Amino acid sequence: MSSTEEDGATLTPITPGPNPFNFQTQVISTTPVKSNIGQRRGHRYKHSSISTQHQIFQEPPPRPPPVLPASLPIPTLREAWKSMRKDQRLRLYWSLCHLAVAMYIFYKSEGSLAAVALSHLVFFDAGSAAVCVAVEVLGNFEVWRRSSIRHPFGLERAEVLTGFAMSVFLLFGGFDLVSHNLKHFLESLGNHESHHEHEHGHVSASSIDIIAGAAIVSTLISAYGLKNHARIAKVMRVSYLAHLPSILSNPFHFLTLSFSALIALLPLMSIALYTWLDRLICAVISFAMFAVGFRVAVAQGLMLLMSYGGNDGNSAVSSILREIESDAGVQRVENAQFWQVHYGLCMANLKLSVARGYDEVSLGKLRNRISSLIQNRLGEGYGHGGYTRWEVTLQMDTDLVS
Amino acid sequence: MAGWKRETTAGGKSILTPGPDSVSTPYAPPIQHTHDHGNHDHHDHHHSHGHDHHHHDHNHDHDHHHDHKHDHDHYHPHGSTQDQNPERSLFTRLILPYTAKFPLLHAIVSEKDSRRIFYFMVLNFSFMIVQAFYGYLTDSLGLLSDSIHMFFDCVALLVGLLAAVMSKWPPSQRFPYGFGKIETLSGFANGILLMLLSLEIAFEAFERLWEGTKTKRLGELFVVSSLGLAVNLVGMMAFGHHHHHGHDHSHGHGHGHDHSHDHGHDHGCSSHGGHNHGHDHDNENMHGIYLHVLADTLGSVSVIVSTILTSFWGWAGWDPLASCLIAVLIFLSSKPLVMSSAKRLLLSVPETTEYNLRNTLGGILNQRGVVSYAAPKFWICDRTGTDAGWSLEGVVHVVAAKNASLNDVRERVLDYLQKEGVVAIVQVEREGDNSCWCTRGRALNLPSTPKPF
Repeated sequence: MSSTEEDGATLTPITPGPNPFNFQTQVISTTPVKSNIGQRRGHRYKHSSISTQHQIFQEPPPRPPPVLPASLPIPTLREAWKSMRKDQRLRLYWSLCHLAVAMYIFYKSEGSLAAVALSHLVFFDAGSAAVCVAVEVLGNFEVWRRSSIRHPFGLERAEVLTGFAMSVFLLFGGFDLVSHNLKHFLESLGNHESHHEHEHGHVSASSIDIIAGAAIVSTLISAYGLKNHARIAKVMRVSYLAHLPSILSNPFHFLTLSFSALIALLPLMSIALYTWLDRLICAVISFAMFAVGFRVAVAQGLMLLMSYGGNDGNSAVSSILREIESDAGVQRVENAQFWQVHYGLCMANLKLSVARGYDEVSLGKLRNRISSLIQNRLGEGYGHGGYTRWEVTLQMDTDLVS
Repeated sequence: MAGWKRETTAGGKSILTPGPDSVSTPYAPPIQHTHDHGNHDHHDHHHSHGHDHHHHDHNHDHDHHHDHKHDHDHYHPHGSTQDQNPERSLFTRLILPYTAKFPLLHAIVSEKDSRRIFYFMVLNFSFMIVQAFYGYLTDSLGLLSDSIHMFFDCVALLVGLLAAVMSKWPPSQRFPYGFGKIETLSGFANGILLMLLSLEIAFEAFERLWEGTKTKRLGELFVVSSLGLAVNLVGMMAFGHHHHHGHDHSHGHGHGHDHSHDHGHDHGCSSHGGHNHGHDHDNENMHGIYLHVLADTLGSVSVIVSTILTSFWGWAGWDPLASCLIAVLIFLSSKPLVMSSAKRLLLSVPETTEYNLRNTLGGILNQRGVVSYAAPKFWICDRTGTDAGWSLEGVVHVVAAKNASLNDVRERVLDYLQKEGVVAIVQVEREGDNSCWCTRGRALNLPSTPKPF
């Protein structure tokens, strides 16, 4: 075999000497052929003397069975539907309802800019609820979690990607609202003849209240029932909202709930104040959408760029690296790659150079020490509910120089 | 501005040249063909396309000066007589020394893609200012709202520009794999943005059709959209070839691609790894910007056509109808961009590479002293500007036999993977040591480990 020769050639400079393992592999690869020749009594075409001499049937090169499947089947819609459990189906129906509520608010809101802006927020909530359901349903399938060669990290990163797409929606919505607002403002300034029907006909007080009520109720149901936005909010860590009670500490729910409460109060104002407040709320919502969208985009974009945790994460990684380097056995850290794959998984790939005299047992201990250090420090433990798994890989080169 | 105008004329000229080269001509003159004279003639078209893949900097002006005198087969003699930066336009060479004081500006101007985005952004922005100012003077709503639209275009361009500049940043502790993905990310964002935009356009069109709102001030609208069309046509010219290249690409990884690959290696201009990967580095950022400009162009065209039709027939439905059509077109054209960039961002390995990777992984077991391996995670690394280039990188855990030296096994596996064009971090474990997290996965996939632990 040419490969063994090659091995021998590359081996000599490092550790010369015979290797009994080489012999073993040869035995394994040749045994089935030998035994077959003697035992087979039926059709002999393949192993008859002629075919073995003339190589009519060529054995495929021996290939060990792969550790990972090459790719796993991605479920179709029908399969996904069939795989759903009862509670999942219930959640799907609710997320459709949420979408319907968003549509309803959008259609009813014609005439009030603030309500239009609110409908954007509700659309975003509904979209996130739908993503939550989709993630849960896809979780029924192997391809979602298990890594294959095609998808080394499963498909779980898709959730981050859709989150990013939704943040683009937020940014787009914010821009869109601003430009619409600006256009209306210019129209009213330029005193052009009014050709939009929003100038006449405000939304009636009752329908405004219905809109706000629907927004609040659907947000609450989604927040408790589906826990939408939970994972995104965890990544974002908005510090100034963190001490608010449970649902409100999530910036998205906070936005929707507070603005719909504000809008519900609108009809109490006088007409002149109403128009100005309407515009003001719309502007504030669009600004908030823009700001939040930007933060979400950055948080998810960092993950998609294969980075870990922004600034805080970076300083945490620095301190961990210092700690590892202070370990007696470690000479230096040559290469450190800390990054977050998706919401539940991070990777730490380190290349260390280790002092020479270390034996295997202590190297193993060192490895365990480092990986538990990383997991404990960065994985945030089980207690907070925000548990991220760290997969640590250590390449320990023995330092030949010193 | 001055430099841009000249580029406009270059684009205008090249569109007059016949044949399929018209779009790629402004970037076509490859100067590296000096050793390739013999078969240059019949490969000519391929060359121009193939070279576009490799991010050569091609010269607008250079092209422009010689275009009317020579056929396009004759680029290389001029290229070879050119000095050391033949790929930059006269204007760029003029301003390049002045930008040295501002590192960011210098970084923008010295790279082809970012330079192009930058020039177009400057054009767009100045047009926007002029439009807004004029709109304010004449109190014209159409001009003002169009300048708002232009402002958003400028923002999108700015994002693309940032992505193009940042993609050259080196890896750091915070971004261990560099910024190779940021262009893909920007392309993805642009694609999503276009999809949302097309939905909005379609929605508004339906609304207008429903309400039967009449378009007003047709003359003004016509002028504004023709001006917008002119600007966007310049943009199409500037970013045009990326579309062709993307188009070619989507038709499959055929022979033509291999061919252009070989040339890339011959010229030593591309930083690709030594292995074959049949998939090309498609610049999603430029593709996204191109699509955005295309969408704007289509929008202007639709407004122009619908105003003409409305002034002839007076039916209010033309405009919404045209908008609907445009919306569908935009949506369909941005779909492949979104799909391809999503695949890249999910770190999935393309099919052709996957086959090679499977063989490579199988070969790990043939290394002496290796009992099995676990948790192989490999993905395409597309950081630009390193010699690792466009190879695979990742992580694998290898289990060493009881009597093999751990160091030896590690070196062996690393050497082997390096030879296969895979950059890996290899963790070697002793057989029977089940302390690592990867053993859990290994227990599930027992077939690869015939021996009991």
